[in-house]
Amino acid sequence: MPDAPILQVSELNVFRGATHVLKDVSFEVARGELVALIGANGAGKSTTLLALSGLLPARSGTARMTTDEGTIELTRASTETIVRNGLIHCPEGRQIFQSLSVADNLALGAYTRTDKDWIAQTTEEVYRLFPILREREKIPAGALSGGEQMMLAMGRALLGAPKLLLLDEPSLGLAPKVIDTIFDVIAELRLRGVTILLIEQNAAMALEIADRAHVMEHGRVTLSGTGASLMENDRVRQAYLGVSA
Amino acid sequence: MSQYLFQQLINGLALGSLYALVAIGFSMIYGIVRLINFAHGDLVMIGAFATLGMLFYGTPWPVTLLVVLLVGALAGAMIQTVVFRPMLGAPQVTGFIASLAVSITIQNSALMLLSGQPRNFLFPEAMRQRVSLGGVSASLTDLVIIGLTLTLIAILFVIVYRTRLGRAMRATAENLMAARLMGIGVNRTIVAAFAIGSALAAVAGLFWGGKFGQIDPLLGSVPGLKAFIACVIGGVGSIGGAMLGGYILGLAEVLFVGLLPQAYAGYRDTFVFSLLILILLIKPSGLFVRHVEERA
Repeated sequence: MPDAPILQVSELNVFRGATHVLKDVSFEVARGELVALIGANGAGKSTTLLALSGLLPARSGTARMTTDEGTIELTRASTETIVRNGLIHCPEGRQIFQSLSVADNLALGAYTRTDKDWIAQTTEEVYRLFPILREREKIPAGALSGGEQMMLAMGRALLGAPKLLLLDEPSLGLAPKVIDTIFDVIAELRLRGVTILLIEQNAAMALEIADRAHVMEHGRVTLSGTGASLMENDRVRQAYLGVSA
Repeated sequence: MSQYLFQQLINGLALGSLYALVAIGFSMIYGIVRLINFAHGDLVMIGAFATLGMLFYGTPWPVTLLVVLLVGALAGAMIQTVVFRPMLGAPQVTGFIASLAVSITIQNSALMLLSGQPRNFLFPEAMRQRVSLGGVSASLTDLVIIGLTLTLIAILFVIVYRTRLGRAMRATAENLMAARLMGIGVNRTIVAAFAIGSALAAVAGLFWGGKFGQIDPLLGSVPGLKAFIACVIGGVGSIGGAMLGGYILGLAEVLFVGLLPQAYAGYRDTFVFSLLILILLIKPSGLFVRHVEERA
């Protein structure tokens, strides 16, 4: 089924402790699409991504990733298997390895990759996208600025050979100029056919770049549509774009 | 250099080697899962008795060394898999108490199986000779212990800083969640850290028996406690710090006894613990750690 959506989430329920965080969440991401999840803090966006990469168990429901290599049930597979199959999660707060060098961080991104030539070539590619990382190659990643750390997190994710890239708040706490760089790279990845699921506080930027978007409120997907149509939606404009009615 | 001072230095370095071997494993385990493992010293005892068993069957020393490394690694891997793996993510105190339980279980099982009777084993005749080096002499046993320890530590550093496994261990130690997201099998990586650390402790048991000539089922308590102190001195969680902490502790103990009048010799442990308190007052994160890391 070459046309099956790369990601199919249906009726997903996730608890964190006793709290019911995701309530019957369903959505799909087609191959090559850039889909944004927008919503307030605590709406369940990050929890969705954590469940997709197998870091949080699902109480019920399914999440299925279909690639050329086959289909895997994300709610049952280990994170290791999920990553090996090309679902790469660039987590909130960047989570780079601070005490390790920039080069080590990038090498860890390629941990599941075995083709040495591909790794060398992709590392070059990352250095071309973010030249500052090459200069900082030997420096502990914790010494980088916030923007550079974000670039490193993105570069590290690219070295995992993502078929489906989950980006959690890539613009958080960054200067506008750095945000532009990051979004330029996201746009470039999309042109190259990488499927992206993007979480973003900055709803305007996310909707502008996204093919489709889902609005999450209190653990449910309450509104879905193309990026452009949601930008025109009154509720979205009031709640997330800061436009008064 | 006077023979006396030289002798004390070699003694201190040999004792420091034993402490360093135990402390490094203690520190690796703390580093990767934030577990204060009070059962770690008992791996020294397991290593010592494994050596005794091998000698009973007349196994040659190089083979014995390899077998002891293997026994330690297997014991460490087993303890981690059975006891500590289910506690990953539990509060730190849970693991700490469990490690006390493991320690008591190992010690009492050993008492039941092997009896409390101390046993003797010695390094072969050839290794107990003294060698002269330009006017001073040292026991070959001490020199072998120091040499082998440094070799093992060098191999460890290559593993930790130059291999894929080592990189995965450092990543897991720093950020468990991010390590998972890299596709690292963190359970395997944690087992590897336990196995390597425990193998080093078991070799310390082989050296312990060879140096002091006598072993018993409770012999692990002292090296376990001293390793803990060495880690605190050097900075717990850091391999280099644990190693240096071990050598500092060994040298300090021997020089304290050797250079002060005989009457003070009985205060050896008082001195060691005072040193610990002093270092904690001056540099609470340890001498060789640049910053206090907090885990998110």
